[in-house]
Amino acid sequence: SKAAGKLTTGLTGLAVNSTPHISLTALYDRTLKLLARMPADAKYRQSTEAIVKERLAAVNSEPDISRLEKRINCGQIEEVVQQAERELQLARNFLAWKPWEPLIGQAPPNQWKWPL
Amino acid sequence: MINLKHILKLRSLPGATSCTSAFLKETLTAPACSRINASMISGFPTPVRRELCTEKKMPTVRYSDPAIREPLKAFGKYAGECLPKYIQSADVTIFDELEILIHPEGVLPVLSFLKDHHAGQFVNLSDICCVDVPSRQFRFEVVYNLLSLRYNCRARVKTYTDELTPLESCCSVFQAANWYEREVWDMFGVYFTNHPDLRRILTDYGFQGHPFRKDFPLVGYNEYRYDDEQKRVVIEPVELAQDFRKFEYSTPWEVFPNYRDADKNMRKEGAGDEK
Repeated sequence: SKAAGKLTTGLTGLAVNSTPHISLTALYDRTLKLLARMPADAKYRQSTEAIVKERLAAVNSEPDISRLEKRINCGQIEEVVQQAERELQLARNFLAWKPWEPLIGQAPPNQWKWPL
Repeated sequence: MINLKHILKLRSLPGATSCTSAFLKETLTAPACSRINASMISGFPTPVRRELCTEKKMPTVRYSDPAIREPLKAFGKYAGECLPKYIQSADVTIFDELEILIHPEGVLPVLSFLKDHHAGQFVNLSDICCVDVPSRQFRFEVVYNLLSLRYNCRARVKTYTDELTPLESCCSVFQAANWYEREVWDMFGVYFTNHPDLRRILTDYGFQGHPFRKDFPLVGYNEYRYDDEQKRVVIEPVELAQDFRKFEYSTPWEVFPNYRDADKNMRKEGAGDEK
């Protein structure tokens, strides 16, 4: 099956993924499950769900890898997998940090004033 | 409500890595007022940005470019809506640079968001530096400079701290932060918790003090010289051959209207014991 796909990504340290559809659907499904645990009015949840659902739809409807890369338009499919992994990690961390809560503290009055 | 597609499309403007065709590269990266039409280079008819070429622009003035400014503003606003807990403000400076001002508790969340989120992808930490403004209550302003290779975009994250309050180290997010944070510690004295190896990096081994602080003298406290009798380098208190000269640089004309109140405001705020 390697003969059918590409030989290399051209990027050091990034190996070719021969089954990107499987990796991507798994990552996106897990991300969506994590996002569902966030409050529905959180901006991060709304926008990330929009992005992830759009990409998942593209992955599910496009079996050809190079056409899928062009449709997602965000680099090679291996890079798209990297982005999905990062987003999943971020969603995990956000569940702990809860950044949608209101501001924890303002800066003192002249902290950001420049020139003095 | 910000249309995400709008952000993602806007952010794949000039220089985006996703534009692979040479044709697009010619149009998008050509300088605004170039006399050389892109079609002379590539040979095909290219859409020239006529409105910019016919405007009278002064060559010595750096004009603000809305094509860079608008996407940055939109992204700053979007980041502020995603992390309202930590982001105090997100503005674009007069030089078209995005600056995100955050609460010190939010270093890890904000940097992780900028690095890991699909719309950010600021994977490269270009620099961590520090600014010492002694008159402020939190005198040190730590600045993180980030670069997104995917969207050809830079962002700056600024926090504040004082001599005794530590900041969270971002080595778990960016490996490059290791030496940068060591430098900030060595030069300013800002401590970073959870840093794998926080020790001096630029000063000499037994050196005391933090040289880049504003209250550290320009010539330092000690000088090194080779002593011929002892046949080694000796450390002695610094002795200048000439008195240190401090020039006034004052003119009868006002040169910087924005700095009119600077001298008054440089008195220490917050502590109140120096009045």
